[in-house]
Amino acid sequence: MPEVFIDGKRYEFEGKPKLLQFILDQGLEVPFFCYHPSMSIPANCRQCMVKVGTPIADKDTGEYELDENGERKIRWFPKFQTSCSTTVSDGMVVHTQESSEEVARAQKDTLEFILINHPLDCPICDQAGECPLQIQTYKYGPEGSRFEVKKVHKPKRVQLGERVTLDAERCINCTRCVRFTEEISETNQLTIVSRGDKNYPMTAPGEEFDDPYSMNTVDICPVGALTSTDFRFKARVWEMNQTPSIDITNGKGCNVDLWTRDNLVLRITPRQNEDVNDYWMPDEGRDAYQQFNENRVSRPSIKLDGDNQSNTSWNNAIETFAEVLEAHEADNLAVIGSPHASVEENYAFNKFFNLLGAANAKFTPHVIPGYGDDFLITDDQAPNANGCRLINLDESEADGIKAAIQNAEVVIILSDDLIGRDVFSAEDLDDKYIISLATNQTPTVEASDLVIPITCIAEHAASYINVDGRIQRSYPAKETKYTNRRLNLEMSEGRLDRYGTNFDNWVSEENKVDCLPVWEFLNHLGDRLGLAYQQDHSRTIFAELSNQFPALEEITYERMDEEQGVQLPIEQQEVTQA
Amino acid sequence: MAEQDYSFTQEELDEIERLKAKFPTDKAATLRVLWVAQEKYGHVEPEVQQLVAETLDISPAHVHGVATFYTQYYKEEMGKFVLDVCTCLSCQLCGGYEILHHLEDELGIKAGETTEDGMFSIQSVECLGACGYAPMLQVTNGVYANNLTKEKVDKLIENLRNGNMPEFESMVMRQNEKRKKAVSE
Repeated sequence: MPEVFIDGKRYEFEGKPKLLQFILDQGLEVPFFCYHPSMSIPANCRQCMVKVGTPIADKDTGEYELDENGERKIRWFPKFQTSCSTTVSDGMVVHTQESSEEVARAQKDTLEFILINHPLDCPICDQAGECPLQIQTYKYGPEGSRFEVKKVHKPKRVQLGERVTLDAERCINCTRCVRFTEEISETNQLTIVSRGDKNYPMTAPGEEFDDPYSMNTVDICPVGALTSTDFRFKARVWEMNQTPSIDITNGKGCNVDLWTRDNLVLRITPRQNEDVNDYWMPDEGRDAYQQFNENRVSRPSIKLDGDNQSNTSWNNAIETFAEVLEAHEADNLAVIGSPHASVEENYAFNKFFNLLGAANAKFTPHVIPGYGDDFLITDDQAPNANGCRLINLDESEADGIKAAIQNAEVVIILSDDLIGRDVFSAEDLDDKYIISLATNQTPTVEASDLVIPITCIAEHAASYINVDGRIQRSYPAKETKYTNRRLNLEMSEGRLDRYGTNFDNWVSEENKVDCLPVWEFLNHLGDRLGLAYQQDHSRTIFAELSNQFPALEEITYERMDEEQGVQLPIEQQEVTQA
Repeated sequence: MAEQDYSFTQEELDEIERLKAKFPTDKAATLRVLWVAQEKYGHVEPEVQQLVAETLDISPAHVHGVATFYTQYYKEEMGKFVLDVCTCLSCQLCGGYEILHHLEDELGIKAGETTEDGMFSIQSVECLGACGYAPMLQVTNGVYANNLTKEKVDKLIENLRNGNMPEFESMVMRQNEKRKKAVSE
């Protein structure tokens, strides 16, 4: 096996790795800015310089020449090499900043150059706290600058597109954003304009940066030059709390992180998963944070007089629900599951009404043909159509749902805005008793007689099966009225969650939604009806699922966590139009 | 000004095809095609950049980036004579800025501006590779005026006003002057 010596330690390698990536893969560090594992290597920031040499070998015998101490003679490259673009070769000897004063000095000087025109406005910069330039300057940079002349001024607050704002002064011209539009999103919308110390990334004159993936450039920007127009100045990164989750705005199930503060989701960023979305996600998925915070159904509501809903207590909601179920035969129920809800929710929901004697719940996929692209946007608008199929819910077209409603007296809808997406209209529901278990206010919720608020993906742990048949799960990121971050070990705590109290004026307890997970609500309803139905936690529901369905055998939450989701042995189904 | 329709003639398109054939990719021909466009229109304003991008079927952003990199491409309409005064290191040390400021005073405009009569534009540019004859300036991407003094600049402006372009000067470094004399004799 070929070998390489890094800082005096021997490593074996296979193939032709690049030195920087190889070093990073070993858990070691060399500072860098422009390198990105998923894009081409321009080696233009010059930060990852290391000292590299190769042993001198006899041309004929291939034997290494040795010095008087019996050590291999090394022929050093005449100058330092950018490790990102150097291919590792057999016997190569590398000195990083850890073992070479010279290299450390070179990196420090490079940083001094990079910082010449950088405004050093970290205290008001959104990137501060998660800024490679800031972090690496602390670690490897100079104490101060020797440049006494005035810094070059460049455009500030440039609206590159609807979602991305540029501060050109902070830019270090690493060209990551330019390469992203050339190589990943392939819109070619960005370029570096002007020349020398005045250059910065820009679109062509008159062109808007309307790339559907534009905000990925904000993520990969190693400084605060490209910032999210929407998230600008909303929160410092260290005040927030980061929870892994899944994008629910389409069928791809991009892996994401939800960033919360005071139980509001403030932004959504992609989480690397090379089997699904690599480092990227569509801009649309990032807007989903609004639906977690705003326009939520909080506290049950009920229609008492005409079309006006008013809030009611959980006890009353359960009592009303139970009375409705007792007053009607199971045959007269139309039970509608949802590709927008998780596997566990659909299963718990379906099982409950099965116990009452109803047939399997129906569901209809939410597909807009031609909406997707070949990358991360799919025609499927729902995160879990395959999950509904897997647990044998009754898949039907819009007409099938309509017919089921017409024949029913009571319609029970799980978390799906069927009116909003034109499966049926509010008139179709006249004379029926409509019960919605919903997360957000929608036309369907508005038309309902009884509304049960349930948790959204940001509030529960549950799994979703994407269009390619991969099962992935979420974690609870924000508290509801009935959960507590400190007691629920699955929830992460940010600094404010841990150290803040509600006597601080920067901590608020107000953003907790009054809702329950579907299964918990159904437990209460089951108690009232005397059903043998008890589901403690999504984890136990999933254990039950994996016993029951061969496709989910041996799949657990732990495995999903360790392997970043698991590909199920199910065939990709042709998605049918809703 | 009425909106102008920018397009290449068949002849120019043939020329562009010839240029494209010289390079492995069409993208690589950007510089040459921008040049064709600038010779035709006298500038490469955004609309012209757009035309170049469409002709080469490459992204307008790329063409814009290339055009803004070179001071030799005029991103807006310039005067009849563009005076590119070098203010890079050698010229700067030999009085490049004095020449520039003198020109600015004479013409009543700042670097980057054009006189009202559309006669002169001044640009402060980076090294033009004539450090041996500093300070110097270039007239409209053409002839160099070397070893400038204020008097020489005044003379140059007067000549240009009268429509006389300076002649090409064969320059020799001072230390080589003797040798040149010896060779020519």
